[in-house]
Amino acid sequence: MKEKVKHNYKPYEWALLVLTAVIAIIMIYPVLFALMSAFKSNGEILKNPAAPPTALYFKNFVDLFQMSDFAGAIINTIFLTVLSEALIICVVPMAAFAITRDHSKKSSFFYTFFISGMMIPFHLYMFPLFKELKMFGMFGNFIGPIMIYISGSIAFGSLLYCSFLKGVPLELEEAAMLDGYNRFQIFWRITFPLLGPCNASMIILNGLNIWNDYLMPYLVLPSGKAKTITVEIAGFVGQFTARWDIVFAGTLISMIPAIIIFVAFQKYFVKGVTAGATKG
Amino acid sequence: MRENTLRVKKPRDWYYWIFLSPALVLFLLFIVVPTVGSVYYSFTNWDGISPKMNFIGLQNYIEIFTSARFGNALKNTIVLTIFVSVLENVFALALALLVDKVIKAKNFFRSIFYIPVLVSGIVSGFIWKVMYNYNFGVINSLLKGIGLENLTQDWLGDTRFTLIAIGVVLVWKGVGYYMIIYLASLQSISADVLEAAQIDGAGPWQKFTKITMPLISGAFTVNFTLSLINGLKIFDQINVMTDGGPGFTSETLVYLLYKVGFNEGRQGFGTAVGIVLLFLILILNGAQQKFLKSREVQL
Repeated sequence: MKEKVKHNYKPYEWALLVLTAVIAIIMIYPVLFALMSAFKSNGEILKNPAAPPTALYFKNFVDLFQMSDFAGAIINTIFLTVLSEALIICVVPMAAFAITRDHSKKSSFFYTFFISGMMIPFHLYMFPLFKELKMFGMFGNFIGPIMIYISGSIAFGSLLYCSFLKGVPLELEEAAMLDGYNRFQIFWRITFPLLGPCNASMIILNGLNIWNDYLMPYLVLPSGKAKTITVEIAGFVGQFTARWDIVFAGTLISMIPAIIIFVAFQKYFVKGVTAGATKG
Repeated sequence: MRENTLRVKKPRDWYYWIFLSPALVLFLLFIVVPTVGSVYYSFTNWDGISPKMNFIGLQNYIEIFTSARFGNALKNTIVLTIFVSVLENVFALALALLVDKVIKAKNFFRSIFYIPVLVSGIVSGFIWKVMYNYNFGVINSLLKGIGLENLTQDWLGDTRFTLIAIGVVLVWKGVGYYMIIYLASLQSISADVLEAAQIDGAGPWQKFTKITMPLISGAFTVNFTLSLINGLKIFDQINVMTDGGPGFTSETLVYLLYKVGFNEGRQGFGTAVGIVLLFLILILNGAQQKFLKSREVQL
């Protein structure tokens, strides 16, 4: 395939390349539009929406952090995402380990049981869930959202980890058992270190959902304080109706980490998406 | 009961439950219990705040199937979901074919098409809301710039266009995800099969319809179901772009559920709407399973 022959592309192939490039420009334009607008003054956004900024204008960011507790929202979002994912990659692989290493009826039942969670829309059970959280004292603090994120990750996570664990050869685990390891030691010392790529897919795909989540943190996190980046932005849209520049500064801060992580860990995104789709 | 069985069974069973229980307990506590709870609340007039509620039987469901507002929300949900699903799949397949065939910078194009997926629902809604703006939006100023002034519209405010305008945002944001799945499926088709067809005299169109299409039908079924289910759950963009308006033009089932639950203090009725939504999803999923089974050969 990678022969160093000079290709003689046909004209239609060049035409396809041009077509792809044109579509790519259209697809990326709204993101570029947000990027450019974040560095424009409000007047410039209104007067010349399509034009690139005439000069880099950072006042939007200064105003953003002065007029709202956006810094608090950033910290909250990072905290929620990181802590939830750290717990998720302990809880879900452990369950998947039990399910894939024990071929019994109950295992296949739990597998189907967990996976069917993907069909239940959050909106369906959120009212009773919030009532339950209030009962447990998990409403209006960070415990509730973290519990919701972990339980919400189990459906897709079981799918991802079970399909991965089925492909992990058992020889190492068997050898460890002969050496007298108990099952905890086998899981944490032998199997877990092999889960790297799977953990990466899980953290990236699921972490993105947490990073971008809106309704639940909006409703559950304590009111009167900064919530998450997305919740703050949604609030700005109503609050700063005359200051789009500030909102754009916020949207840029929301998008940039996601895009950087995507570019750096692309292959894990692709693996996670396709694993989730083909085993569905 | 469980403790008894544990004691008599082999010690490995202990480990089984210890490994499984954190996930199982959380899943039961925060998904299964509230889901079962919502079935119960859907038969009550719970307002969401007061501890008191009355069992009112099927009244919520009777209201659902007789109220014009629910009918409107159902219609909006179906229109939006089908519009989004069809376009997402058509464009995702087209993009996957382009990326598969393009002679240069395959990975670059794949990344570009995926980037909108990374943007949150709220942020994508806001960006497009500004682009759709009647006076200052990019879309209208572009139309003016190329002399098509009479095509400028109040995209979100004009009830003829509201749902389509929202749908476009969702397609833009969703298409990259489905493209990845189509692309993986396309790349799993062995070159030999296509070459053999070519030797037998098949043209590009024949190769596409007779070989490629059947071989990616699994991906098609998965994508179509996923996009329909995701379509039914749309919330963020509507929240930030139109708040269900103008009037009730863009009020979908999920949005209706949210509004009656939180703004109108009728969470019992809201959960009943949620139950209807769950039934729609179960039907779609059942249809997918059936479809997948009948085509299992190709997977």
